[in-house]
Amino acid sequence: MSVAHNSDQVVEDYKSSLLDLTQNNKHEINLLTVIASEYIGKAVELSRVLETHIRNVPPDRKLPAFYVLDSIAKNVGGAYTRCLGQNLYHTFMNAYASVQAPIRKKLDEMVKTWKEPVPGSTDMRPVFPVEITRPIETNLIKFRTLAFQAAQQQQRQQGPPMSHMMSQPYAAAAPPSEWQNTATPPQSNGYYPPPNTQGYPQPNGVPQRSSYPSNNQFPHPQPTPPNFQPPYQPPNPNTYPYQPPPMQDLNALHRDIENLISTTKLEFAARHWDTGLQTKLKALLDLQSIMRNQQLPPNQIQAIRDQVSQLAQTQPPATPTPGMPPSSMLPPNPVPTPTAFAFYAPPSSTSQPPADIQRLLDSNALAEILASAARAKQSTPVQSAAPSIPPPTNPPPVTSLPQPDRTSTPSSNTTSLLANLKALGMLMPDTSTPNGAMPTSQPSSGFPLSHHNYSNTPPMRSSHLARPPLQEIRNDVELNNSSLKIPRPDLVKAKLFDARPNQCSTCAQRFEATEEGKKKKARHLDWHFRTNRRLAESAGAQHNRDWYVDEREWIKSRDNHDEDPDAADGAGSVQAKAAAEAAKNDPKNKFVIAPDDAALRNVPCPICHEKFELSWDDAAQNFVWRDAIDVGSKVYWHASCHAEVKKDRANTPMRTATPDSVLGKRKAGMSDLNAVPLKVPRSPALSSASMVSVAASTV
Amino acid sequence: MSLPGLQLSASDEPVLSAVVHHLTEGSEWRFEVAFGSTVEIKLLSGNAELFGTELAQKQTYSFSGTKAAIYTWHGCTIEVAGECQVEYLAEETPMISYANLHFALERKRDEAVSTGQDGPRVLVLGPEDAGKTSLVKLLTAYATRSGRQPVTVNLDPKEGILSVPGSLSAVTFSSILDVEEGWGSSPVNGPSPIPVMLPLVYYYGQANPDSGDRIYKPIVTRLAVAVLSKLQDDRHVGSSGCLIDTPGAISQGKGGYDIIQHIVSEFSVNVLVVVGSERLYSDMLRRFNGQPIGIGETTTVIKLDRSGGSVDRDEDFLRRSRKAQFLRYFYGDPKMELHPRTTECDFSHVTIYRVPNTTSDFLASLLPGGEAEDDAATQRLIYEKVVPSPQMQNGILAVVQADGNDTPEHIRDASVIGFVQITEVDEKRKKLRILPPIGLQLPRRALIWGSWPSDLGELVR
Ligand SMILES: [Zn+2]
Ligand SMILES: [Zn+2]
Repeated sequence: MSVAHNSDQVVEDYKSSLLDLTQNNKHEINLLTVIASEYIGKAVELSRVLETHIRNVPPDRKLPAFYVLDSIAKNVGGAYTRCLGQNLYHTFMNAYASVQAPIRKKLDEMVKTWKEPVPGSTDMRPVFPVEITRPIETNLIKFRTLAFQAAQQQQRQQGPPMSHMMSQPYAAAAPPSEWQNTATPPQSNGYYPPPNTQGYPQPNGVPQRSSYPSNNQFPHPQPTPPNFQPPYQPPNPNTYPYQPPPMQDLNALHRDIENLISTTKLEFAARHWDTGLQTKLKALLDLQSIMRNQQLPPNQIQAIRDQVSQLAQTQPPATPTPGMPPSSMLPPNPVPTPTAFAFYAPPSSTSQPPADIQRLLDSNALAEILASAARAKQSTPVQSAAPSIPPPTNPPPVTSLPQPDRTSTPSSNTTSLLANLKALGMLMPDTSTPNGAMPTSQPSSGFPLSHHNYSNTPPMRSSHLARPPLQEIRNDVELNNSSLKIPRPDLVKAKLFDARPNQCSTCAQRFEATEEGKKKKARHLDWHFRTNRRLAESAGAQHNRDWYVDEREWIKSRDNHDEDPDAADGAGSVQAKAAAEAAKNDPKNKFVIAPDDAALRNVPCPICHEKFELSWDDAAQNFVWRDAIDVGSKVYWHASCHAEVKKDRANTPMRTATPDSVLGKRKAGMSDLNAVPLKVPRSPALSSASMVSVAASTV
Repeated sequence: MSLPGLQLSASDEPVLSAVVHHLTEGSEWRFEVAFGSTVEIKLLSGNAELFGTELAQKQTYSFSGTKAAIYTWHGCTIEVAGECQVEYLAEETPMISYANLHFALERKRDEAVSTGQDGPRVLVLGPEDAGKTSLVKLLTAYATRSGRQPVTVNLDPKEGILSVPGSLSAVTFSSILDVEEGWGSSPVNGPSPIPVMLPLVYYYGQANPDSGDRIYKPIVTRLAVAVLSKLQDDRHVGSSGCLIDTPGAISQGKGGYDIIQHIVSEFSVNVLVVVGSERLYSDMLRRFNGQPIGIGETTTVIKLDRSGGSVDRDEDFLRRSRKAQFLRYFYGDPKMELHPRTTECDFSHVTIYRVPNTTSDFLASLLPGGEAEDDAATQRLIYEKVVPSPQMQNGILAVVQADGNDTPEHIRDASVIGFVQITEVDEKRKKLRILPPIGLQLPRRALIWGSWPSDLGELVR
C-alpha cells in the first residue's frame, strides 16, 4: 500500500479490466492483449492475475478469460508463454472440469491450436511447449472416454449414469442457449488476427532468429501419446443444439469411427474372449489412427466412409450415427470452419469411387490395407494430430488433391498407404513424383519463368517413367581411370536421388522410402523440432564450446542422431542409454496388459478414481492399459498417479527440463576438469592391436 | 504506442538485390565471397549441392569468406542476394569422375558389409589448391547420402576439420554436412541447429609436416590407431571406411613421399587418389599400385582431374580463413553464438611445452659451427618446456589429455581436449590471462604452444 508503484497500478487495472470481461468480446480481448504486450516486463504478475481470474470467475466467464490467455500466448508470447505455461495444466483442468459441455468443446479446440505454431507466423514452435499440452491432452482423453462411456451406459440402462460420474456436471444437461449464437473471437481455429491497429507485423512476439531460415514448410511433428484419441469426441451428440454443417463430414466420419470404437470397446469389455471383436476393434483403432495422421485423398475417404457406415449398420444402434450426407450434397466450396480437423481433405464432389471399390468393402481387402498401414504407423511416431487448416485468408484448394510436398509433415505414411491402395487397384495413379530431381529433358537454356510453381507441381516426365526400375541399375564402376570417366546419369539418379527420395525440407537430408527410412525421417524431423524449441528456449543463454572427447570416448561414441532421438546432439551411446532409461521410467510410457477379468477391468484407479484406458499395443500384441502399473495383488494404479504420490511423499522437486546437451550433461562439471581422471592409455608403444583390445575390453 | 516484442526485425535488414541463375544439368556456379561481406543463396527449384551436400529448397544459406561452387546434376534455379567477388557459370566439371569414384567406393563398402572386412581406406593426394579437401568433402557427403558413416581424417594442419588450424583430426560423419560452415560443428553445451560432430583432435602446431621431426609421423600413427580401432568397434563405420585428406606439401617429393609411405602403411590405405598432378600420379603408381596391404588386398592408385573451380587461395585469404576458424571455435557462428570469457591463472598453474619452430631450427643449423651437433639435438627434441613470456601473447595453447609431468612422447601422443588463447602475460604478478572455450579455469593438463599460426592477433571480443 505504502509504495503504490505505477506498475502495481497496472496490475490492479488489469485485474479490473478482466472483471469487465463477461463475454467473448473481441475488442476487449484484443485490448487486454495489447496491454499485456505493453507490460511484458510485468508478465509474471499479469499472468498470475489472469490465472487467478480464471480460477475465481463463475464458469460462464471462464471461456472469455481463456480467450485472453490464448490471445496473449499467440500474439505476445515470450515471457507470457513461460509464465502462463507454468500453471496452465491446473488452470485449464480446473476450468475444464467446472464448465459445461459446449464450453469444453471450445476449450478442446483451443488446446489443439496450442499444439500448433501460430498460423501465419514464421515461428514454427507450438504456442505452448508440448510438455505442457500433452498432460492436458491426456486428461482430456480420459474425460471424453469417461463421458462417452457414461453416456453409453446411461442409454443402455435407461438410467442415471454411474455414481462416480454424477459429480461431473456435464453429460446430460442441455447447454445454455446463449452459447448457440455467441460469436467467438477465434475466426479460424482459435487464432486471432492481431488487432489491426498500428503495426502488429508479427503475430508472435518472439524475435525471429535470423539463424534459422524461416520457412513455412518447416516440419513440426508433434509427439503425441501413442494412444491419442481423436480431436474431439462429443460426450453425447444428442445434447448438441446444432447439427454439424454438412462440410464437416470429415469430422462426422471421425465421430462415427470413434463411436464405433467406443461401442466395440464396450462390447469387447463384456466379451473379451471374442477374438472377432478384438480383430474388429484393432482394425477400427488402426483406421482411426490412419485417418488422423494421414491426408487421404477424397475417394479413399469416401471408401472408408462407406465401409464405416456399413459397419455402423451392423452395430447395435447404441449411438445415434449422424447420417452421412451423400457426396453429391457436399458443397463445392468448403470454407475453413472453427472446428479443428484432424486433417484437411477436399471433398470429392466430382470423383466417383473407382469401380472396384467393392474390393475395399470386402473386409479382407480393408484388413489388408489396415495391416499394411498399421505397419507404417508402427514405424512412424504420430506426426501431428493437429489441423493443417489453411489460414482464413487462403481459401483451400478446391480442385486439386493435396500435394504430397505442400507441407512437409506429410506423409510418408500416406505414401505407403497410397501405394497399397494403388496395388489393390483402389486408386488412380497420381502425378506426384519424388521431389529432388528436375526433368532431365528440360532444355538447358531457359527455364520457365514460373519456376516457383515448377517445383511444386513437377510435370509427368516420360523420361522418368521410361527409366528402368531402381534395382536394375547396376553399379558397375570399376576403380580404374577409364571406368571413372564414363558418364552414368542413371546411376547418379538412382543412387544419389531416387534411392532416398524423401527429403527433409529444412536441411535436405535424404531418407529411404522404406519403413526404416520413414522412421528415420520422423526422428529427424523430431530432432529439428526439438532443437528449434530448445534453441528458442535457451535464447539468451550463454553457451560454450565443449572440450573435445578423448580417444576411448571417441571410439565408443555412436553419433547417429537419426538413429536415436535421445542422442540428438551427436553424442555417445552412454547418454542415449541414459535418455532411453529416463523414457522408460516416464510414467506415461508404462503400461500393463489389461486384465481378462471383466470385473477387474471396471475397477478405477484408487488415486484419481478414473478408469483405465484400454488400447491396443502392437508390440505387446495385446490390449493394454496405458499409464498404468500393477502395484501388487491385482491392484492397478495409474503410473502417473503413482509417480505423483511417490513424489509427494518424497517431497522432491519437480523434474526439470532435460539438460540442453547430452554432452553438456556429461561435461557438466567440465570447468573443473581436474577432477576427471586421465583416460589416455598409457602404453607409449601403443600398437593397433593393443588399442583394439583396450577398446574391446570396455564393452 | 510501443509494443515490445511485436516489432518486425525484417525492416532493419539491408536490402540485397537478388539475382536468379539458371543452371543447366551438370553445370556449376562458382562464387567467391570476401570476408566481411555476405551472400545469401536460395535454391528455388531443382536440385543443387555444395561439395556433395544438397541445398534444401527455399531455404536461405549465407556465405562469407567462401570460395565454393554450387553444382547441379539435373538443373536448378538459384537466387543469389549480395555481392560476390567472383562468380561465373561453368559447364566443365570433373563431377562425373568424382561421382564415379564414390560409386566405386560404394562397391567396396558393399563388399565390406558382406565380408565383414573394413571398407575402403582412401588417401587423397595432390598439390596445394588442387581441390583435395573439396573432393574429400564431396566423398564424405556422398557417403552419408548413401547411408554410410565414414571416418573423415584430416592430416593437413592447415585445414583443421571441425577444429582449428594446426591440428589433425578425425570425425565420423553420420548425417549431412553443414552447407554454410563446410563441415559442421563440434559439440557445444547447448542446442545446435545443425547436428554436431565429435572430432578426435591431435595437435601439430606447425603449418607443414616435416618428415624429420618427431611429432608429425607419431601423431599420424596415433590417429591411425584410433581410426582403425573405430572401424573395428563400429561395424557400420567399419564397412564405410575412411577418407583421408592430406597437406599439399607432402606431395612435392623429397621427404614428403616418406610421409605418404607412413600414412599408407599406418592407415592400411587401399585406394590412393591423386588429384591434379600427372607426375605425382606416376610416382604413386610406381610406388604403391598393386602393393599388398593386409591380407589379400592391394592398393589401387587412380588419378582425377582437378576442378577448374579449385582456385589458388592467396595468403591473405588463408590468414583470414584461419582467424575465422579460431573465432568459430571460441565464439561459434551466427547460428550458434558462444560466449567464452577470459580468466586469469598463475604461472605456477601451467606447464607449457613449445613446439620447436622447424624453420628457425633449420636456419640455426645452417649457422657455422657444430651443425651436426645441433642437428642431433633437434632430432631428439620433441618439445621444450618453457615459462610464460610476453612473446606468448595471442599465442594458442593446445590443452592435451596428459599431465604436465608426463614424458614428451606421452604429451605428444595425447589427444587435444581444447584450445586456449593467451591474451596477456603479466610477468610481474606472474599471472596469465587466457581465453578458454568453456569455464573459468584452465584444466590442469599439459599445454602445447604451437609455432603456427602465429599471426592470429587478439581473438577476444
Ligand atoms: Zn532436416
Ligand atoms: Zn489415477
